[in-house]
Amino acid sequence: MSESSTVDPIPAQAGIGLRMPHHEQVLATRPRAAWFEVHPENFMSNDCALAELERVRANYPLSLHAVGLSLGSAGGVDRAHLERLRQLRGRLAPGLVSDHLSWSTQGGQYLPDLLPLPYSEEALGIVCRNVELVQQALGTAILVENPSTYLRFAASVIPEAEFLAAVARRTGCGVLFDVNNVYVSARNQACDPATVLADWCAVLDPASVGEIHLAGHAIVQAATGEELRIDDHGDHVCQAVWALYEQTVLYFGARPTLIEWDTRLPAFEVLQEEASRAQSCLDGNARRAPAHPARASHRAQATHAGAH
Amino acid sequence: MPAPTDTLNGPPLAALQSQMAAALLAADRDAQALPEDLFAGAHPGAIGLRVHRNTVLGALSNALRSSFRSIEHLVGEAFFDRMAVAYARAKPPQAPQLDAYGADFASFIEGFPATEALPYLADLAHFEWQLDELGRQRPDGVSGAHCMLFDTGVRLHFASSLRLHQSSYPVDRLREAILAEDTDALAVLVHELGRYRYALWRGEEGVKASPLGAAAAEFLGAVLRGAAAEQAISAAAAVGEAEEIAGLLAAEILPAGFLRIEAVAPGTRN
Repeated sequence: MSESSTVDPIPAQAGIGLRMPHHEQVLATRPRAAWFEVHPENFMSNDCALAELERVRANYPLSLHAVGLSLGSAGGVDRAHLERLRQLRGRLAPGLVSDHLSWSTQGGQYLPDLLPLPYSEEALGIVCRNVELVQQALGTAILVENPSTYLRFAASVIPEAEFLAAVARRTGCGVLFDVNNVYVSARNQACDPATVLADWCAVLDPASVGEIHLAGHAIVQAATGEELRIDDHGDHVCQAVWALYEQTVLYFGARPTLIEWDTRLPAFEVLQEEASRAQSCLDGNARRAPAHPARASHRAQATHAGAH
Repeated sequence: MPAPTDTLNGPPLAALQSQMAAALLAADRDAQALPEDLFAGAHPGAIGLRVHRNTVLGALSNALRSSFRSIEHLVGEAFFDRMAVAYARAKPPQAPQLDAYGADFASFIEGFPATEALPYLADLAHFEWQLDELGRQRPDGVSGAHCMLFDTGVRLHFASSLRLHQSSYPVDRLREAILAEDTDALAVLVHELGRYRYALWRGEEGVKASPLGAAAAEFLGAVLRGAAAEQAISAAAAVGEAEEIAGLLAAEILPAGFLRIEAVAPGTRN
């Protein structure tokens, strides 16, 4: 694929996170899938995998979901990594580019995790500065995803939903709304997930939501006895998250929705089944949904208690 | 410049991230902790930090595991994780492309505590890293960067991915035996200390390793340095019997699959 390739928009349908063990099957059988999403970092030092991805891209719309831009780094965005992403975007012509509301780079070291930010005015300014830099370099608006959180900083004075909404408003970026992350974070902070979702819907401009993520998570017992939800993308989407997803589609309308599965990767057909379920939800609820149905009613009752 | 308005609630973001990164990579239990008054969640901050520490170190161990399969097979998952975590703490990655992480893992584990019974461990890891690096390249065929013209009107084109590798153990056979769990073969191979040379390249069907004799290795080394045909043959002759060079090259290099032979018409030999 050359730099002049056409961008295929990501349809408001259910797509699948494509992982390397499935490349061969996808290339050989060209299975039914509305679109694929990959982590671009997996193709920056692996020309062999990139050649396969280019062949996949010839047949499917593609989204690039980065994990290494470190949009929340006080030290700024790694320019070399940004340049690699720019070049990859030029080659693959993805319909969407996204990363997370988190940080992973500090002092020239990369820590492979989506590390949490204190939602403070200082952090808001830093994230906005970094997002603007990335968008300028890429020549396109990106989507920024709400992460799963396992701790909360005392310095977080802005609710998470308001923080991300402000980033979107100030920079023109979109939001990648991860329903599983909303659920995981809410449970880990002993909040009611439905209430937290209502807070998000009250605050986010539906027009800013460009993609939705769904994934499974693990439940573990900490050594101290506390139950924690871990966003490991290693299982089916749980029933509670499907219920939140239905509400999300009602609130925001039909959006490209991704099934993410990274650990204990199952057969590709299992991912297709999960995507079919998401597609049914999109088809059913998007038809029923009036324009931004719950937004007004939830705005009135929204509180920031528990949301972060 | 005025201080950020949030400093009353915690350190500036740069300081917080520096402290947190250090805490996540620290081996010492005391150094892994951050003051609890930084946190205000439903659980102690230490629990969340532990989740992030496990994710960071687990991701780095898994990245190394995928590059050093036979090393993990040899030492077992738990011991491999000990080496991987020690390496991660000493040399965390500098970029998010984790498949390129681990370039000096082989040197790091040389002499790692409790590996004294595995003197070939680092050699094997060096070899496996070469295979991993080549495996991430596109198949390049043999139309690549290195070519050599002979007076006889023959031009040799070598794969651009071609590289030489030297080891003190028969690491190709060691690796095969480990992955096949062939303990009998392994028991013999570990005693075959010597000088082993390999041509490594990325073929259409994967990474190839071809054992070489000393003369063939010298010849290929000269090729990779960009030497002319006569110089390469002289280099090979310096370590072998001159009259055997042609035969050695024909036996070890021509069938290996990393070169293409082209007959060059007179007048086009540039």
